[in-house]
Amino acid sequence: MRIDHTHKKWFIASVALLALAGAAYAWSAWSSPHGPKGGSALGLTFGIVGSAFMLFAGLLAPRKKVPVWRAGRAQTWMRGHLWLGLLSLPLILFHGGFHFGGTLSTVLMVLLIFVTASGVFGAALQHYLPELMTREVPLETIFEEIDHVRAQLRAEADQIASAACGSLGLAAGPEEPTDTSDSRLAGGTTAYKQPTAAASVAVLAVTEEECAPLRSFYLREMRPFLENPGARSHPLGDAAQARSVFQELRRRLPPAAHDALKDLEDICEEERQLNRQARLHYWLHGWLLLHVPLSLALLLLGAVHAAMALRY
Amino acid sequence: MGRFQRTTRKLAQRINLNYFERPHPLRRWRLLLSLALPAAAVLWLGWHGAARDNRVYSSGALSSAHAVLAAECGLCHISRAGVFREHANDQACLACHDGPIHHANQTFTPSCASCHAEHRGPVRLAAISDRNCTQCHANLQARSGPPAYERIIEGFSARHPQIGVLRTGKGDPGTIKLNHMLHMKPIRVGPNGPITQLECEDCHRTPAMNEPWRFAETKPAITPAAAKPDPLAPAPTRALMTPPKYAKTCAACHLLTFDRRFQDNEVVPHDTPEVIHGFLVKKFAAYVAAHPLELRVVREPDRSVTGRPVPASVRVLTPLQWVAERTAEAEELLWRKTCKQCHALHFPSGAALPQVASSNITVRWMPQAVFDHEKHRMMTCVSCHAGADTSQATSDVLLPGIATCRSCHHPGEDAAGARCFECHTYHDWSKEKSVKGRYAFHNLLGVSAARAGEPSQAK
Amino acid sequence: MSAGGQALRQVELTIDGKKVVVPEGTTVFDAARLNAISIPTLCHQQNEAPVGVCRVCVVDVGARVFTAACVRAVEPGMVVTTNSEKVRRARRTLVELLMSDHPSPCARQQHSRDCELETLAKLEGITQPRFAPRSTSRGKDDSSLSIAVAFDACILCDRCIRGCNDIRGNLVLGRTGKGAQTGIAFDHNRPMGESTCVSCGECMVSCPTGALTNKGTVHAALGPDARPVTSEELLQLPVFKGVSGTFLELNKGAIVQRHFQRGDMVCREGEYGSTAFYILEGQAQVSISSPIAHVKTDGGARGFLSRLKSSLARRQEDRREEEAQQRYIPTDGPVDLAYENPVAELGPGDLFGEMTCMNYYPRSATVRAQTDCTMLEMLRNVLDILQKNKTFREQLEGTYRQRALDSHLRGVPIFAGLTDDFINHLRETVELTRYAPGEVICRQGEPADSFYLVRLGFVKVSETYPGGELVLAYLSRGNYFGEIGLLGVGQRSATCTALDHVELVRIASADFQLMMGWFPQVRRSLEAVAQERLQQNRERLSLVRSVPLDRFLAQGLMEAQSLLILNLENCTRCDACVRACADAHDGVTRLVREGLRFDKYLVATSCRQCRDPLCMVGCPVGSIRRRHSLEVIIEDWCIGCGLCARNCPYGNINLHPFEVTQGEPALPGREMAVIQQKATSCDLCTGHKEPSCVYACPHDAAHRVNPREFFARTLGSPTAGVPES
Repeated sequence: MRIDHTHKKWFIASVALLALAGAAYAWSAWSSPHGPKGGSALGLTFGIVGSAFMLFAGLLAPRKKVPVWRAGRAQTWMRGHLWLGLLSLPLILFHGGFHFGGTLSTVLMVLLIFVTASGVFGAALQHYLPELMTREVPLETIFEEIDHVRAQLRAEADQIASAACGSLGLAAGPEEPTDTSDSRLAGGTTAYKQPTAAASVAVLAVTEEECAPLRSFYLREMRPFLENPGARSHPLGDAAQARSVFQELRRRLPPAAHDALKDLEDICEEERQLNRQARLHYWLHGWLLLHVPLSLALLLLGAVHAAMALRY
Repeated sequence: MGRFQRTTRKLAQRINLNYFERPHPLRRWRLLLSLALPAAAVLWLGWHGAARDNRVYSSGALSSAHAVLAAECGLCHISRAGVFREHANDQACLACHDGPIHHANQTFTPSCASCHAEHRGPVRLAAISDRNCTQCHANLQARSGPPAYERIIEGFSARHPQIGVLRTGKGDPGTIKLNHMLHMKPIRVGPNGPITQLECEDCHRTPAMNEPWRFAETKPAITPAAAKPDPLAPAPTRALMTPPKYAKTCAACHLLTFDRRFQDNEVVPHDTPEVIHGFLVKKFAAYVAAHPLELRVVREPDRSVTGRPVPASVRVLTPLQWVAERTAEAEELLWRKTCKQCHALHFPSGAALPQVASSNITVRWMPQAVFDHEKHRMMTCVSCHAGADTSQATSDVLLPGIATCRSCHHPGEDAAGARCFECHTYHDWSKEKSVKGRYAFHNLLGVSAARAGEPSQAK
Repeated sequence: MSAGGQALRQVELTIDGKKVVVPEGTTVFDAARLNAISIPTLCHQQNEAPVGVCRVCVVDVGARVFTAACVRAVEPGMVVTTNSEKVRRARRTLVELLMSDHPSPCARQQHSRDCELETLAKLEGITQPRFAPRSTSRGKDDSSLSIAVAFDACILCDRCIRGCNDIRGNLVLGRTGKGAQTGIAFDHNRPMGESTCVSCGECMVSCPTGALTNKGTVHAALGPDARPVTSEELLQLPVFKGVSGTFLELNKGAIVQRHFQRGDMVCREGEYGSTAFYILEGQAQVSISSPIAHVKTDGGARGFLSRLKSSLARRQEDRREEEAQQRYIPTDGPVDLAYENPVAELGPGDLFGEMTCMNYYPRSATVRAQTDCTMLEMLRNVLDILQKNKTFREQLEGTYRQRALDSHLRGVPIFAGLTDDFINHLRETVELTRYAPGEVICRQGEPADSFYLVRLGFVKVSETYPGGELVLAYLSRGNYFGEIGLLGVGQRSATCTALDHVELVRIASADFQLMMGWFPQVRRSLEAVAQERLQQNRERLSLVRSVPLDRFLAQGLMEAQSLLILNLENCTRCDACVRACADAHDGVTRLVREGLRFDKYLVATSCRQCRDPLCMVGCPVGSIRRRHSLEVIIEDWCIGCGLCARNCPYGNINLHPFEVTQGEPALPGREMAVIQQKATSCDLCTGHKEPSCVYACPHDAAHRVNPREFFARTLGSPTAGVPES
């Protein structure tokens, strides 16, 4: 979530709460015989409030699972997640009196620090990456559908290329096996089932030998790129190189084929952007691979810790 | 773009509408990890649980004194049927330690754990916080009557009374007449000896110091047997100064000569008047036996101090008479001069011999606190005992005041500690009762050790 | 041409050395023909007055120049040579000249190999004309449903013109242009489909070449099991009176006769079709079998933890804001169905399926044979012929006036108060008019002379403003227009155009004023509506003037009233919005997180509630409409055909499957579960303050906004949006 001026209230409240907690901690550190202690009334309060905050932060995930529950707007939860989750670290530090304690509590502290750190890292990513993605990937699509869109782009490129230089001799690939399986959405997809064959491209008046460079380029360079667009070393994977490649092709091909070439270039550009999008998306969501499991483990062990601490 | 006019509809048409129901690898991994990591945590705890090892739940390492008990939580956290909480209570502590009461008149007795915080790493359990003391002493209430001590003590650097002897101004109760100033000036040792500067440790030493005394008796009355020191014997303390002993500190200068007839400045033993009297009688009797001529006492005519001529006379004494006379002379010298120079003698009427007052040297000036000279050995003596150079009266107490202490002992980073326990103890150990041991090895070292049956192999 | 009954003088002359006697006034051509001497011709036909334009029938009458046999009357002692070398050469040259301006083979030659010109040319042995062909095409006209016009193939023989004007008396065809630009024209040179042509087929039958040909519809559409009807049989039916038999012959197969057993399904609602039915005998039942209910999403309003659930609800159960009091469901037939009981009967002489046939809209209702019945099923070209046939039209209009006008008028809520007397009066006076696609019904600024009720098809109401056209509304069956002009300034405030085949009920100004006088209640309601429409128009226009018409317009954002936008700088692409939408709507998302960007916002694919709702165009049952608040709402009688989903330019309408039980036709009394589709679009999660997508967005990215207000600042400043396309 982007941290902007709309967070002002949360920020002020969090700082106030932190100041309050800090003051209470300082007072307890000064006044109690052994300094701050998790088992003291104030220490327990810190522990309970801190773990309540953690629990609340952790509840964001189940809250997201039932998005239509009118249990508060998701962004309110998110703000709470951010600020209260962040606050839980100092509160728990106050709870432990900045001591890590025994094995379990050390593990908990380390987990908490990792969770908080990964959360802060994620928040930073979420602050900057969407803007970057917006700027750099104007042709972005839905991340989960990138493969699907790629298959369509590939089919489109095949069509353009074969229209420009005759049949390519490509076997009808096992394209889009996933597309037809949405039986449940038969109704929902009626609106989307218009045949895309309407985009039939008129066969261009270019002779066989004139389009030979295009043909070989398409089969040797572009098709492999389209099939494996993740390969970074591929010349088409780089915008500048691709531009020069296409410039060269444009020089060698008759003007009649230039439109097709432009289309192919656009497809390559879109592929590159999808690549970029996928990479950014992995950054944008990859940290959750750390954050979510760690926080689950933290909550679990935290509960054990609470039970054991009450016992002993 | 020639091939594809991007419109909302065309873009949307590329999307399979139920894409969000197919989990993407990213989500699948998240789910997998979300299950795996907590599962790993449970396994970890379960593994410890299976080994019946509850140490993971420990809130911190035990103090070094209790480190051996780390595996056996149950020794302190005693479980009771039907009660979930298993807090460590005083019974558990008292099983091994006696904790004598601080003061019979105290209004309440705190639990052990309220002062001695365990699970805080290898720290001294006795190193308790000032708060534990000031909870009473900041406003001391006694069970009956007014408290015997200062009512408000808030810590060493805050409100803390002056050291008792200085506060009362009673002065040193010692009876040995000592002028520190004279001693600290250069002194000629013996009538013709070299000029000597006395050091503090020439007189004031802790028992542990075993360097030779510079001014000890040259001829010890009794030569101690050359016994090999026992290395396992408890080390002599270095905390407090022993009272200076004549034989070790004074004898070299303060010779107890009694009669010129004896060669080499023979001295009387530094002992009670009765012993000295016996010594003298024995010495003179032996002398007169060896020198019978001395029985004839010739007095040369002389002018007395008053100017009255004293006629010459000759007396012949019996040896007994002679010994009595000589002894009386020597005793006169000793009682009236040599001994009296330092000791306070007092002549009861009708008694033949004087009584020497007890030297009454105070070894421990602060009966409620602990002071260890050893800990302060890096300092010169006079840096604290500033009056040593100038004091002329025995009654001068050369103890430094609390202000001197506070110049180092104050709170803060760059200071020596100023906590209560560093000088004071809570428990009145004089009342300690002995504890009867009740644990075997396996009780202390855990079940595994008991099962193995070989306590020595336990970690 | 000849005055029958009067004794005529006989004239003797010689043709090709043969002495012949013919009555005075006979043409040389006829004289030769009567005597079995054939003179080739192109422009002349027996049943038409000769005009002598093609000159192919040239003969040598011994005069200075050759003469056209078809127009030259015989003279006594005339010596006619039809076959001399000189004449043959001249004829050959003439044919060669005609051929050089004729595409070979023309459409007719291709289809039936009977182009008269080309047959003649072959006879003359002309394969390659010596003369250069025309360099530019004269064009073609495909606007008529049944007749294709290829001007290139026209040899200006005038046969069609004479057929249309003299034989049929339709007075549609004529000549236009001069010299080489001469050609035939319909009315005042209008496209044939928009002309007053009644598709009788006479011109086409008359044409010697491929200039006017039958469009020959796909016969497969009618299926193999039906019995084709011969033209003779058809011509015996009163409704086909006046139709060219040849034309019917040519369209054989485009009309078939079908027999239905009692209970047979004639057509099913929601299906696509291309035919119309005319009932010859028997009774049929029209009904809507889809549940009469709309999709309602609710549940969340009751407890904040309960999930949203989509269900079907009738409007009695779920009263929506400004719910229409519409009591009739328009269908593609002469009757409307009552909301409470959507069943009606059709009998002999009723035509149904017009919209499907003409505009290829889905079927609006299910028709079953109630008794054994016979129907004619026809394709578009035949329907077109029929509809343009005066007899048929009269019959249809009569039926409409008698049976449907009533319910149709009263179906409009504000006319519900009209008395029977007045409706009877209107029955006599209203005019039923038709408009071809694209035809302008009335223009902005023109004097207002009538009030219109839409009977069939869709009317686009638009306003012109400096710089372009702005669509105000699409009106479908049951809607009305023209009241603003009549009530107020007397000028049309907007331009109304027929989007497809439109039929209107036209109430003349006088009748309208009468109605206003008699029914002050109606007047008040109408005035209120007119006021409202004017107000909206004014707002919209002021808006148009204030907004720079850049890409904002290009993306159609101007038309949108409510956009789901995602702030891309906040959006982490977590898809929570889509999941929330799917969650709120039984697992079917009505939102796709894909679309074009505007500025830093993604305009997600979710109903925009356009001011110009193209989705409404074509709804066969008029189920999709707008509230007065302009929100798009789908009425209970949606039959799930999915046309709106196809029509939405933004892909925002989806069909939601519901399992319902309905009676099985084969086994009466048995119920079976079937999947029924209902069109759904974003319903803003009715009953909640916020749509679920916005509610569920954790990153403060999703917002439902009014684009004009939201983007006001952006639009005010010359901020460039993100470029695309």
